[in-house]
Amino acid sequence: MEFDFSPVIDYLPVLLQGVGVTLLIGVAVAVMSVVGGQIVAVITLYTRKMVNWPLRFFIWLFMTTPLLLQLYFLYFGIGEWILIPAIVVGVLGLGFHYMAYNADIFIATIKSVSSGQYEASRSLGFGHLATLFYVVLPQAFNRALPQLSNNMIIMVKDISVLSAIGIGEMVYVSQYAISVTFRPFEFYITITVIYYLINLMMEAGQTWIERRAAYRS
Amino acid sequence: MDFNLMIEIAPLLVQAAWVTVDISARALFFGFFIASALVVLRTSRIRPVRWLSRAYISVVRGTPYFVQLLLIFYGGPAIGLRLDPFTCGVVVGAFNIGAYMSEAIRGAIESVDSGQNEASRSLGFGRLTTLQYIILPQAAGLMIRSVGVLAIILVKNSSLVSIISVVELTYQAQRLIGSTYKPLEVFTLSALMYIVIIYAVMGIVEFLYRRATRYTFL
Amino acid sequence: MTQTTETPMVELKGVKKRFGDLEVLKGIDLRVDRGRIISIIGPSGSGKSTLLRSVNNLEVIDEGQILLDGVQVNRPDLKGLAFEKHINHIRQNMGMVFQHFNLFPHLSTLENVTLAPRKLKGVSTSIARELGMELLERVGLADKAQVYPSALSGGQKQRVAIARALAMQPKVMLFDEATSALDPELVEEVNRVMKGLAEEHMTMLIVTHEMAFARDVSDWAMFMDGGVVVEANTPEHLFSHPDQERTQHFLRKHLGTQG
Repeated sequence: MEFDFSPVIDYLPVLLQGVGVTLLIGVAVAVMSVVGGQIVAVITLYTRKMVNWPLRFFIWLFMTTPLLLQLYFLYFGIGEWILIPAIVVGVLGLGFHYMAYNADIFIATIKSVSSGQYEASRSLGFGHLATLFYVVLPQAFNRALPQLSNNMIIMVKDISVLSAIGIGEMVYVSQYAISVTFRPFEFYITITVIYYLINLMMEAGQTWIERRAAYRS
Repeated sequence: MDFNLMIEIAPLLVQAAWVTVDISARALFFGFFIASALVVLRTSRIRPVRWLSRAYISVVRGTPYFVQLLLIFYGGPAIGLRLDPFTCGVVVGAFNIGAYMSEAIRGAIESVDSGQNEASRSLGFGRLTTLQYIILPQAAGLMIRSVGVLAIILVKNSSLVSIISVVELTYQAQRLIGSTYKPLEVFTLSALMYIVIIYAVMGIVEFLYRRATRYTFL
Repeated sequence: MTQTTETPMVELKGVKKRFGDLEVLKGIDLRVDRGRIISIIGPSGSGKSTLLRSVNNLEVIDEGQILLDGVQVNRPDLKGLAFEKHINHIRQNMGMVFQHFNLFPHLSTLENVTLAPRKLKGVSTSIARELGMELLERVGLADKAQVYPSALSGGQKQRVAIARALAMQPKVMLFDEATSALDPELVEEVNRVMKGLAEEHMTMLIVTHEMAFARDVSDWAMFMDGGVVVEANTPEHLFSHPDQERTQHFLRKHLGTQG
């Protein structure tokens, strides 16, 4: 049992590039899934059955099947008809997956904003949409924050799965480095440590966000 | 949709789905014991034990299951740990879900009103007998529900062992997409199987939950 | 108090208790003889509940001694499992009744009463059942034996809680504001049960807000404030013409509102 971390040092620039890709994907998916989740939730709640039932179906489908299966379907399935880069498939796949989870949260929190708030706003002369944007959604967003930030912390860990469809995030680049250096333990331990540090930072961020949200509600 | 193809590949997928169930059930079973041990150890009188078990829970929950799987399967031999793919999936799954489950069990125990503990202690029951007769029966409902949520995550996570070539549902689906060029058919069938498994888990959880909380309806 | 030669059932000597910087019990002495009923009154935060909980060791005192029938309850010399064993044994001889009942919601009324005798004294299920039914009869709830606590009113819950405590055949009963959480119309049924116990010469320590009840039922009354016993006397004396101004002030406020 001998450990040799010098290959890890040698490949540090490549690893860091992988970390950068992971973080960029994380930001892109976070924006897409939070904004998209809110839009999907509003459409689901405020449109006729014919419009919203397919949305409800897709939310349900994304939540009851594994991410990797969804990624394979998108990658091999859609790749069958049109050629799209893996990175786009990855971001869209992860984005849709978490959009469903976030929409599910928004649907619950929008419903939880009391009808009294709605009536108060309408009685001031605000219209239906204005009430939604100025009164209901901001409150719903604040209430959703704890679960949203939880989802985003889980999502960042799931970026590692994108290596399965060949996206150059940090697990993928380590697999490449391992194929050259034959040092799987050293590389995967390094990845574990990096992920743990990212997680600690995200948890600190979550605490900060939640304190602010609690202050506002 | 090519229904003939679906009928043709269904047996293969059912077989693979069984592997998914098998690996998840075993991981859940062992995970429960790991979780129970962690619940006890994290409040141990011995400081290093307490510290280590909390650190373990924090690290496992703070890193991806996928990376843990790769670390143990490919990196394991470097520390003398050689596991076949299926065993590796069970072991890593159990140790992973055990950390989450220990938090779920602790949360359920802490949710029981502190007056229950006082009343029991004032009758002369000790810590352990209080846990056995008073606290656990009342925590059971919440515990079953949160373990149920984790069991579903475990089933979905088990798809990742396809990467270390365990022939479970996702592995088989990927292979069939490649060989049949019919992604929609394969996806529909395999998704359906995951849904059936997950709904079965939900049904069992609901049944156990009703039994554990029967007293609230009587 | 007359019989000073026999061992007191409960005795407190110089009991002190701190919560952080706050001293909530500042050296309490108390002697309760066999079959006596002591009421402790006082404003909230006076330390009366802490005192009662200390007797059961639900609060661990910092200084002084507490004795039950001559046996020391608090044992700073015992640690870990040895103390556990000691206190579990002591507690089996004391019945405690809580403000919020703390009935076990997952057990039926009868099971609530029989659990401790069965598991702690090894009483057989059939004998425990007989004993339990007898006790439920005594608190007037034999017809509710198979019912679960969620289906009982507050007064009924508290009566079951009393039966549960009695099932261990305790030497002393401790009541921690047993009627404070009840709707006014349910107070009387619990008081009736407590009076019944008094007539059977059960030794009782009662922390209460019910001045009329305290005057009626007890042999001795104590007024506590700020962690000390301000005044202790026969209930006739304490409630009718208290010596201390703080007691007068407190009673004026409370008797005034309760009529």
